[in-house]
Amino acid sequence: MSTPRVSRLDPEAITRLAIERRLSRRQFLAASGAAAGAAALAGCAPPTGSTASSAPAVESSAPSSAASAPAQSAAASAPAASGTMTLATWPNYHNPDAIAAFEQASGVKVNLTVYGSTEEMETKIRAGNSGIDVVVPSNYAVEGWVADKLIQAIDYTKLPNFHREDWNARFMDQAFDKGNTHTIPKNWGTTGIAYRSEKVKEAVTSWKQFFEIAGTTYQGKSVIVDHQISSIGSAAVGMGYSLNTIDPGELGKIEAMLSALKPKLYAITSDVQPPLRNEDSWLSIAWTGDGVQVARDKADARYVVADDGGELWIDSYSIASDAPNAAAAYAFLDYILQPENAALETTFCLFPHANDKATALLDPAIKDNEIIYPKPERLTKLEYAVNATYNSPLRAETWARIKASA
Amino acid sequence: MRQPRRPGAGWLLLPSGFWYALFLVAPLVVLAVISLGVRSPNGGYSPALTAEQYASLATRFTPFTNTIVLAFAGTIMCLLVGFPLAYVLATRAGSWKTVLMALIVIPLWTSFLIRTYAWMFILGSNGVPKVLEAFGFDVQLLNTPFAVLLGIVYNYLPLMALPIYVSLERLDRSFIEASRDLGAGPFATFRQITVPLSAPGVVSGCLLVFIPVMGEYLIPVLLGGGKTYFLGNALADLFLQSRNWPFGAALGSAFVAFMLLVVGVYAWVVRRLTDQGRESSLL
Repeated sequence: MSTPRVSRLDPEAITRLAIERRLSRRQFLAASGAAAGAAALAGCAPPTGSTASSAPAVESSAPSSAASAPAQSAAASAPAASGTMTLATWPNYHNPDAIAAFEQASGVKVNLTVYGSTEEMETKIRAGNSGIDVVVPSNYAVEGWVADKLIQAIDYTKLPNFHREDWNARFMDQAFDKGNTHTIPKNWGTTGIAYRSEKVKEAVTSWKQFFEIAGTTYQGKSVIVDHQISSIGSAAVGMGYSLNTIDPGELGKIEAMLSALKPKLYAITSDVQPPLRNEDSWLSIAWTGDGVQVARDKADARYVVADDGGELWIDSYSIASDAPNAAAAYAFLDYILQPENAALETTFCLFPHANDKATALLDPAIKDNEIIYPKPERLTKLEYAVNATYNSPLRAETWARIKASA
Repeated sequence: MRQPRRPGAGWLLLPSGFWYALFLVAPLVVLAVISLGVRSPNGGYSPALTAEQYASLATRFTPFTNTIVLAFAGTIMCLLVGFPLAYVLATRAGSWKTVLMALIVIPLWTSFLIRTYAWMFILGSNGVPKVLEAFGFDVQLLNTPFAVLLGIVYNYLPLMALPIYVSLERLDRSFIEASRDLGAGPFATFRQITVPLSAPGVVSGCLLVFIPVMGEYLIPVLLGGGKTYFLGNALADLFLQSRNWPFGAALGSAFVAFMLLVVGVYAWVVRRLTDQGRESSLL
């Protein structure tokens, strides 16, 4: 499939990309769950995975000049692989050009299946015999997956093209996977505040301010996401607690605040872009991808990383313990983690990459965009959500009670 | 009159029996077993034999009442809209019948998701509220219980109208003529003949609407903005967010038990109604 390639990436091209791929990663949660519901009703096969991802592949994906061709050097020393490899990942997260180039170079056929949340991936992989080879969990799930042996230790000798020194230290060797024994970062991002500055007249800079004005000045016009880590976590930061609090007293205060806020919200939804675009909502919790896309399309849209902190996250490549085709999984990782190919991924998905060499190859329109790559000092206060937060029954029940409250 | 049992009937039931055992009985057994377990520390299921999941069912009382209230309201609204529709279709539509029927049925061929998504734009602030704004009304329609109710009535109306239509269609016209001949006015005829004879259709229509709405997940998410929380949403969250399979299984089992109760009441009502129907047809 030879599609004409645009050789340089300008803001218009990014805008086009953004419009074409308006379905962001987490909003897919609602859509895929909804599709599952609809299918159950119609008595069809459940559309988990690739069926639901039938959003059209973007033809005009425009690689930057420096990374215009996928690197071909992989095959030289990579282990021999063949057959089919199943990749369990997020929607619109991989550059089809890079995948196609890998298929061509290796002879491996990639079966791409997409999920709306790490929790969904976990449900599938925990049930066993999922057929998944490579899976891309968020940081907070990794520790539990390693403990329960859902993913296997990475044998770096099978990744001859992996160079540790190319990677940004901020995202390597983190507490959730010391020494990166089981995971290698793919893309990362933040959880921030998105707002329409024509409607929200003040500059919104902190979570404290967000939760104050969400229920007062902008009553009926604010949105929080349907994910306990991000919503309870951001509220916790605004109240001066840790993003990861599991303290019953602190969670009690957060619950009281959010339950009182709930009737004054426009919605609790992870599908934050449509209301923000329509001006149904003016103020919203959002993830990097939503921020980039809305800001490109609506001149007055802002996306800020809060002054008082918030969530920083990484999605990482890992190999399932029961991977049917581990050889192909290694061949894929060895290929896709090379800077040229990693840069192609970011050019496509517009989430920042943890590989500095890949970042260096990016078009200035992407690497100098402060929504995609915030200044390093903006990140210092941010926290990673930890496994205990992800697994905490108390956090889960607190969130359920907030959602069920009148 | 009972027909004598023919040899070989058991063999004919084998495929459906196998299907039933494999895809209904077996999953229900799995559900029951998991509901007696505990959540493993990293989520999922850990074997145990405890009723503690059932003990915490009360924590999901609000979604349960939300669901019941809106399912009842939705069923009644469907009935109020669906009965006149079916009545016109069965008695007054004439040569338009086929066209009107097609208009009711064809939307069902479109994905439920797409039809519901369309309402998001109709009810969103650039839709109907924009028009109302021109007349000086400032209203929010999307993400309210009203929007959820509207979505329910819109999506489930055919399931109400069609069975009522069938029972009205089958209604023997000579009863109505006899009633009029014997001096009853149109309203008395409607009340004493049409309504009782269409009751089985009404009851099955109500059930066809009520049961799926009780399990509704999509409409509250898309049109309720996550603020109207149904049992279906509570169940989905337990599996996909909290990863608390045992509690999810217990809630699911309790839900199945409750719906069996509803169906039991339904069967009883239908038996009474059809007995009455037979009596009145004998008179």
